[in-house]
Amino acid sequence: MALVAGKYALRSVGRNVRRTALSVLGIAIGVALALFMESMNRGREGLFARAAAYSGSGHLRVVPRGWRLRRDPRLRLAGFEADLAAARDLPGVAVVAPRARAQVLLAMGTHVVPIEAVGVDPEAEQRAYRFVRNVVAGRWLRPDDEPGAAVVGQAVADRLEAELGDDLLATVVGEGGRIESGMLRIVGIVRTGSEEIDASICQVTLGELERLTGLRGAGEVTVLLSDHRSAPAARAALAARIAPGDEVLTFEDLAPEFKGHLEQDKATNRFVNGIILLIVVLGVASAQLAAVLERRREFAVLSALGMRARRMVRLVLLEALALGLAGGALGLALGLPVLWLFSTRGLDLSRLMGATWSFQGILIEPVIYGDLGPWIVPYVLAVALGATALASLYPAWFAARTDPAVALRVAQ
Amino acid sequence: MSDVILSARGVTKIFRQGRIEVPALRGVDLEVRTGEFLALVGPSGSGKTTFLNLAGALDVPTGGELLVFGKRIADLSRAARAELRLRELGFVFQAYNLVPVLTALENVEFVLELQGVGGERRERARAVLDELGLGELADRRPAELSGGQQQRVAVARAVAARPRLVLADEPTANLDGENAEILMHLMRDLRDRHGMTFVFSTHDPRVVAHAVRVVTLVDGRVARDQEKPGEAPHEILPGVGKAEAAGHLGP
Repeated sequence: MALVAGKYALRSVGRNVRRTALSVLGIAIGVALALFMESMNRGREGLFARAAAYSGSGHLRVVPRGWRLRRDPRLRLAGFEADLAAARDLPGVAVVAPRARAQVLLAMGTHVVPIEAVGVDPEAEQRAYRFVRNVVAGRWLRPDDEPGAAVVGQAVADRLEAELGDDLLATVVGEGGRIESGMLRIVGIVRTGSEEIDASICQVTLGELERLTGLRGAGEVTVLLSDHRSAPAARAALAARIAPGDEVLTFEDLAPEFKGHLEQDKATNRFVNGIILLIVVLGVASAQLAAVLERRREFAVLSALGMRARRMVRLVLLEALALGLAGGALGLALGLPVLWLFSTRGLDLSRLMGATWSFQGILIEPVIYGDLGPWIVPYVLAVALGATALASLYPAWFAARTDPAVALRVAQ
Repeated sequence: MSDVILSARGVTKIFRQGRIEVPALRGVDLEVRTGEFLALVGPSGSGKTTFLNLAGALDVPTGGELLVFGKRIADLSRAARAELRLRELGFVFQAYNLVPVLTALENVEFVLELQGVGGERRERARAVLDELGLGELADRRPAELSGGQQQRVAVARAVAARPRLVLADEPTANLDGENAEILMHLMRDLRDRHGMTFVFSTHDPRVVAHAVRVVTLVDGRVARDQEKPGEAPHEILPGVGKAEAAGHLGP
């Protein structure tokens, strides 16, 4: 048997149909806007995480302990094989890519380009490095590639005035600080759309880099996860399995400025969201207060019958929650088609930011796809019910403070 | 029938309107005993409603001492006064003041729900409506009831939780003579059968005729306190049973 108080609250919502309809519409619009903003926020977060991960950072990276501060590319993992095996055994891992780095001076004729060369596993990079698909001349590296095979960015080739098949002199600082030299041959040229990134690409096989530097093993094991949101848990699990002397870093550790930029962006969006919800809250509060003022005598009678202030607050809150539920449902109905549209077609910002945009070596597409997942139901409920509950606090307090003697005297 | 349930000694109530003080009660001395059927009469502005509000713990006196069921009203918190109203008091208002979105049955049931009555509250509410001849109107909302019917529902709501004291402010003011007569009979019948105490304010001489004790207030003081000696046995309507009485209640 439903409580009479519940029936009273629900039926009270229907007393002034026009006011209720406007309140529900206000909540619905607020919820739909908040939902859209959150969806794009999550979509952008996912896009940035994916862009960063597949631009070379990975979601997680096993590095030698101390590398984070020194950033010395000559450092090598304490237990390369063990780290690689541990990463491959981790649940939720999409791909594991071992890499080694070295500071290299590339020279051709009178042209010299300093660059960080990366030694890679060509097979793993096919799935871990998005720019493999941006080869505009020649081909990508092969596991059994010829000695000295290298893929460079278009900007590197341009600065060296080199072409496909040209030989480059590579000079590196090897083991023990010895200066080592070797020849590389351009087998592929990559053009990403970002000159900044194109000027930083020089990839060879891991074996080639070992040969050049004399340093054995890999300097990092980059891990890409199926879901970037599982990174904190995966990091903890991986940290427990890797060789002593190595540590696991996250994307945030590797690119704190990028992470900071993301956080700032997110905070701005949430601030805008907050303003939208504040306007909704004030609107609903005003409507609720009007409803309470209209029923002042009724609240006085309820008080005379012995209803305590706490119950009166609950009654008004219940009415607000009914409004919130209706507004949330309508907001969901209004927002879902828009969300679906933006999650499938995306929001194209190319007119604002160009065909591509890079930040700290991370190439970001100008199309943001909204996130559409089961999270929207609890999100809508939380926003709609939270906003209306907040909006009804003052009217509820006002109702609870009704002086029955005064209200009844005024009514008479 | 001699327990004092309400005791007022020198009770005053002053309302402030800006800088102006308006005394509504200037020192009321009155005792009400269990089972009384007491009419408060007096001209407009004599303090009847103010006294009922104080007696009903809706308001607190400015001065003097007012005890209701042994509790000093002035000392009680808002919550304690609400608890006293819930457990011991029933109210009937001039304008009925039923909750418009609830049916007659739900209006009565609501009070029982507030009291924390569990599973049997619907049956109890229905029984009270039946007792007052309103069984067939239980599922109607106030707007679908006549004034007389609404006021009887209001009485049902006031007595549903079996309060020891029922306070009625001009309960017949909006009723025609026949409905006023019937309502007074029903209230007196409830008092006789359940031992409830009724205190009501009125201007209507026909209503005063039903009172066992008549207290006249003039200018915020008790001017006259008259008790009818040798109270006669009571009938709902002379020569008519309860069900028939209910049938007499027209719109």
